[in-house]
Amino acid sequence: MSWSAELAEALGRENVITDPARLRTYECDGLTGYRVQPAMVVLPRSAEQVAAAVRVCAGHGVPFVARGAGTGLSGGALPVADGIVISLQRLRRVVEVDPVNLRAVVEPGVTNLDISKAAAPYGLYYAPDPSSQQVCTIGGNVAENSGGAHCLKYGFTVNHVLAAEVVLADGTVTTLGGDSAQVPGYDLLGAFIGSEGTLGIVTKVTVRLLAKPAAVRTMVADFATVAGAGDAVTGIIAAGIVPAAVEMLDNLAIQAVAASTESVYTPDTVAALVVELDGPPDDVAEQFDEVQEICRQHGSTKIMLARDADHRALIWKGRKAAFAAVGRISPNYFVQDGVVPRGRLAEVLGRIAAMADDAGVRVANVFHAGDGNLHPLVLYSEAEGQHDRAERLSTQIAELCVELGGSLSGEHGIGADKACSMPRMFGEDDLATMLRLRTAFDPDGLCNPGKVFPTPRLCGERPGPYRPHPLEEAGVIERL
Amino acid sequence: MSTVTTYRPAALAELRDALVDSARAGERLAIAGGGSAAAWGGAPRYDAVLDTTAMSGLIAYNPTDMTVAVQAGMPFAALQETLAGNGQWVALDPARAGTVGGLVATADAGPVRHAFGTSRDCVIGVTVVLADGTVARSGGHVIKNVAGYDLAKVFHGSLGTLGVLAEVVLRLHPRPAATATLAVPCDAAAAFDLGGRLVHGSLEPVAVEWCDGTLLARFDGTAGGVEDRGRRAMALAGAGAEWLPGDDHRAGARWSAVADLVRGADGDTVVRLGAAPDRAPSLAALVDREARAHAVDAALTSSPFAGAHTVRLRGATAAAHAAVVIALRTEFPATTVCRWADGLHDELPAWGEPPPAVAVLRAVKRAFDPDDRLGSGRFAPWF
Amino acid sequence: MVLTPGGSGSFDAHHPPRRELLDDCVHCGFCLPSCPTYAVDGEEMDSPRGRIYLMDLAERGEIPLDRTIAGHIDSCLGCLACVTACPSGVQYDLLLEATRPQLERHVPRTRRERLVRRAIFAVFPYPARMRAAALFGVLYRRLGLRALAHRLGIVARLPAELRAAEDLLPPVPVRSLFRRPAPLVPAAGERRLRVAMLEGCAQRVLFGDVNAATARVLAAEGCEVVVPQGQRCCGALNLHAGLEDDAAARARRLIDTFEQAEADVVVVNVAGCGSSMKEYDRLLADDPAYADRAARFAASVRDVNELLAELEPRAPRHPVQAKVAYHDACHLANAQRIRTQPRDLLRAVPGIEVTDIPEADICCGSAGIYNLVQPATAEELGRRKAANIESAAPDVIATANAGCLLQVRRFLTADIPLVHPIEILDASIRGVPLEKARR
Ligand SMILES: Cc1cc2nc3c(=O)[nH]c(=O)nc-3n(C[C@H](O)[C@H](O)[C@H](O)COP(=O)(O)OP(=O)(O)OC[C@H]3O[C@@H](n4cnc5c(N)ncnc54)[C@H](O)[C@@H]3O)c2cc1C
Ligand code: SF4
Ligand code: SF4
Repeated sequence: MSWSAELAEALGRENVITDPARLRTYECDGLTGYRVQPAMVVLPRSAEQVAAAVRVCAGHGVPFVARGAGTGLSGGALPVADGIVISLQRLRRVVEVDPVNLRAVVEPGVTNLDISKAAAPYGLYYAPDPSSQQVCTIGGNVAENSGGAHCLKYGFTVNHVLAAEVVLADGTVTTLGGDSAQVPGYDLLGAFIGSEGTLGIVTKVTVRLLAKPAAVRTMVADFATVAGAGDAVTGIIAAGIVPAAVEMLDNLAIQAVAASTESVYTPDTVAALVVELDGPPDDVAEQFDEVQEICRQHGSTKIMLARDADHRALIWKGRKAAFAAVGRISPNYFVQDGVVPRGRLAEVLGRIAAMADDAGVRVANVFHAGDGNLHPLVLYSEAEGQHDRAERLSTQIAELCVELGGSLSGEHGIGADKACSMPRMFGEDDLATMLRLRTAFDPDGLCNPGKVFPTPRLCGERPGPYRPHPLEEAGVIERL
Repeated sequence: MSTVTTYRPAALAELRDALVDSARAGERLAIAGGGSAAAWGGAPRYDAVLDTTAMSGLIAYNPTDMTVAVQAGMPFAALQETLAGNGQWVALDPARAGTVGGLVATADAGPVRHAFGTSRDCVIGVTVVLADGTVARSGGHVIKNVAGYDLAKVFHGSLGTLGVLAEVVLRLHPRPAATATLAVPCDAAAAFDLGGRLVHGSLEPVAVEWCDGTLLARFDGTAGGVEDRGRRAMALAGAGAEWLPGDDHRAGARWSAVADLVRGADGDTVVRLGAAPDRAPSLAALVDREARAHAVDAALTSSPFAGAHTVRLRGATAAAHAAVVIALRTEFPATTVCRWADGLHDELPAWGEPPPAVAVLRAVKRAFDPDDRLGSGRFAPWF
Repeated sequence: MVLTPGGSGSFDAHHPPRRELLDDCVHCGFCLPSCPTYAVDGEEMDSPRGRIYLMDLAERGEIPLDRTIAGHIDSCLGCLACVTACPSGVQYDLLLEATRPQLERHVPRTRRERLVRRAIFAVFPYPARMRAAALFGVLYRRLGLRALAHRLGIVARLPAELRAAEDLLPPVPVRSLFRRPAPLVPAAGERRLRVAMLEGCAQRVLFGDVNAATARVLAAEGCEVVVPQGQRCCGALNLHAGLEDDAAARARRLIDTFEQAEADVVVVNVAGCGSSMKEYDRLLADDPAYADRAARFAASVRDVNELLAELEPRAPRHPVQAKVAYHDACHLANAQRIRTQPRDLLRAVPGIEVTDIPEADICCGSAGIYNLVQPATAEELGRRKAANIESAAPDVIATANAGCLLQVRRFLTADIPLVHPIEILDASIRGVPLEKARR
């Protein structure tokens, strides 16, 4: 039997898609610049069906790509032309909320926000909060090790997942992690999280839940210069304060937000910081005053304090919708994701502005300033032929981050998009060693091939000449 | 074993050379840091020792970025001391005085794991050298970074079987302005209950530890904040509770008792195990029962909400220790023996029931160290 | 499929979905969780993002207009929850309205689909026929025919579409089928406004009480209420089904009728009707004889909740003790962005507690004729909505749309009264218990 017939038989006709027009709606994720029509899409209704589908693939050497909500911004869920897409959108059950043990067990298609909703009646929540939390799935979060605004204090997906049931590339099902973080042996769960769907498919996730903080205080501090805002962030961190979140929006981002929702941001401010502190009330009150003082010292022109929960919700709504809202002020744009050491925020923002001027396109900034995780949005018009210029600038910005001692990606992943830039950050031996890990999980390379690692097909014959890492030149690291 | 060669590289290049040389010689290596965890798990077979303690330098420390890069042989205590000068620390308080690399390789942690997790949660980058001399880096120097696989994670808990950690980059936390400890004498069930109320009551303890009949909870924060939480915690705890502000001898003594128990002493058996939080009371009961049945003096310290527990067995015979550990393993298979009483190795396999993903563990080991040269036998009988 | 010269891609030249509107979609997926069809099935093609993608491909000529794309556009409820959810400002309403007529023109329907649609459009827009059908329904129940038909298994053998219709019939008393408001209801006290009221087709037949209550409340608040005689269907059903020409013809006639009333405001108590009447300007933009008049008309249309929220309350409110679950009708909340007004009006009644419903932003599956033409999805959505409402344990359910009232009632397992919010206001203003006010 052909593999496609086997899949249809294993899953049932109603759970496979083969019609070309329908398949095309699966050809890209949140990064629409890359599109590949898969040979088939399957929508399993149970973990057993996921395993059955993978077994068919393993038997016939058919590559497969898992897909959650398809909000990924690095082309991680980009299909493979002769392979299948396994959509997890029919596995959306919250299996259990266990308030005593502070955890929840969910299927991979459950959205990040729905976990918190299910936990809310117990005064608990799931901490990592990507801006896409209302739509992105926990399976996608595990694959990308997603972060969010509140990850500054609380950490990323990897810090909040206790166990995952995983279908391996040969179709066997196993559990990584366990009842507690104390599992003897290599931390396979930790390695799996953030592997961008290349080590297996998650079919069940046990997440940690936290008690809601007793107090939350939020402010928006306006600044007359981007550098001033950047320095204020550095100042807050240096003062030994760990805010729940420190986010920055520049004027273009604020304009976009204003065009999309009821905006609470000052329309003409050059930059704004959203700072949120949470925790025990007295600690929060004391440090909240201190943060305001630091902002003033760094030239904040106006500080707005959130009046109540609704007002705070509006501040966050604007911030979280900002990426997509940029569609209102620019016909096309690239979302970049790079990280710099927190002491270099002001510097990198200045250099990005200068690079944007040179390239003749606009760059909006809205990002997780507290972690140094930048999201420059390169605005351009396809119609006016600015595509190539904008794309080049976007790549240059990511590489600038590496040059400043940072990273190519803070949370969106490498995916298909940045695989060819990986040699900027890692040497051949680094990548080869990572590939050993991949081989241990997936010897035949069927699981989401073509992502994360540069391949000759993707990046040309050689992944680019070796260039010394800037930290190497600075003597911070040595490579042999 | 006086014939054993010892490699003691002081730099990455020397380390790489040591691995290449030993590979050429076909030697099996035991990787040693501070030596405080040399006995964990099974006893490795080796022809030579690779001692990392000469690689103890600070590579880069920029307090503004709140990250630090060190050579893996640096003593963890020395690192904390350096950082303290800037009001910072690595949010880990392991009982054993080892090296930074050893801390990663053993996945060790102390009571603040309740809030900050283990070394897996603060390591942001590593450089490792594999058995064949391959030098590989992953992660980086920034706290947020998802580029490439995170090799630090597979080395977490690797007990010297995958490669040698050469350099480690860690994220730092500010030292709190104030700290205080709540101490409440109670049994494990009451401790779990009270601990739960502290956690659900959003009092944000950084550590909740039940050690041999006393619940200890540590609170870090601003002076006013800690004081306020102290009042509320005391109200929840009721009569018999003590509030010990600061880090001085009174609170310090309580926490050293935890560390002493975890370290154990010559002749003791110490096992570490993991369990879901609500199993803490039944674990305590099981330890009690088994200790009595086998006439062993047993003590338990638990971070119930992190699900981490350490049991120390003292007195009686190795066979009695073995019987207790076997009983523990039937209920709690995720058990690691960290200290072996004399003769215990003859009575007890190094590991119990393997975790479900043991096949992947084996595959990873094969991929990184195909000739099984590093820490050979450490994970026997699993692999 | 033959490409019409001058068209864009697979669409013909007559108002295809516009490229700029398609380009607004950045493929972020924020709309997915609010889309009812996606909630049911999780298939990308049955999500707003997927539907826009299909339109986009068709606009580029990369896929034909055929039964595949038509199926996915047909399955859209037009609830516009996606418009509300979209941070990028995608005007899916316009895209949908542009796409549906194209599909009607180019993709032949199956015989069964044609029959069902023809039957629906032959009955619903005509109050007299509607009344006859309803009367039949009442007798059908009263004479035990319904029970008999169920017992004989006839109902089970009906096509799903008819079964849905059979199930939707509300238990109305015959008397109320014939109740009509007076052609003119004077304002109580000083007149603040002259308003012309739409009676609706199904509305006037099945919910005559709601119309009566509307007229009373408006009058009590100082509005002189005219009910233009001879008013016909507003064309909402046709418009949402992509029958553009029929909708336009009905719009012209309704404008003619209402202009004669010379009112300040046109008031509507059916969300679905109100939202299409507010779109007449767009519908008739190409008609030189009507464009301006349509624009004026559209600007004067108010939902009754909207209008009352604009008027400073005058009539005293008497207490009504009830916990009310307010269900947002899509055509009110998403199409007309009226969400707070009805809640605020209800909260202003002493004794009323308005509770939240889980998944409040997901459509109940009524959506015009959707529950008749896509019965399976509609049924699943109806059940889900009813369960969510019941989980809030309300005393009363209020919703400002006839279709929602019918649909939700069909799936409730508990005996909870369903009302139009205006009925609660009416009871409060008159100072009579809610049950009595509705008799
Ligand atoms: C507007 C917008 C804002 C965003 N904001 C943030 C943010 O603040 N922080 C952040 O981290 N990200 C953000 N993202 C990126 C994206 O939402 C996250 O990467 C998210 O985790 C992807 O989840 P998904 O369900 O959409 O996964 P998909 O995009 O469907 O897939 C992402 C990757 O995960 C893999 N995958 C999916 N499900 C599984 C599974 N069950 N098992 C194994 N692999 C799987 C896929 O193969 C793919 O490689 C944003 C995206 C958008 C569009
Ligand atoms: S939310 Fe808007 S921009 Fe995003 S996918 Fe949906 S329609 Fe497109
Ligand atoms: S109108 Fe409703 S059903 Fe149609 S795509 Fe939008 S949300 Fe989905």
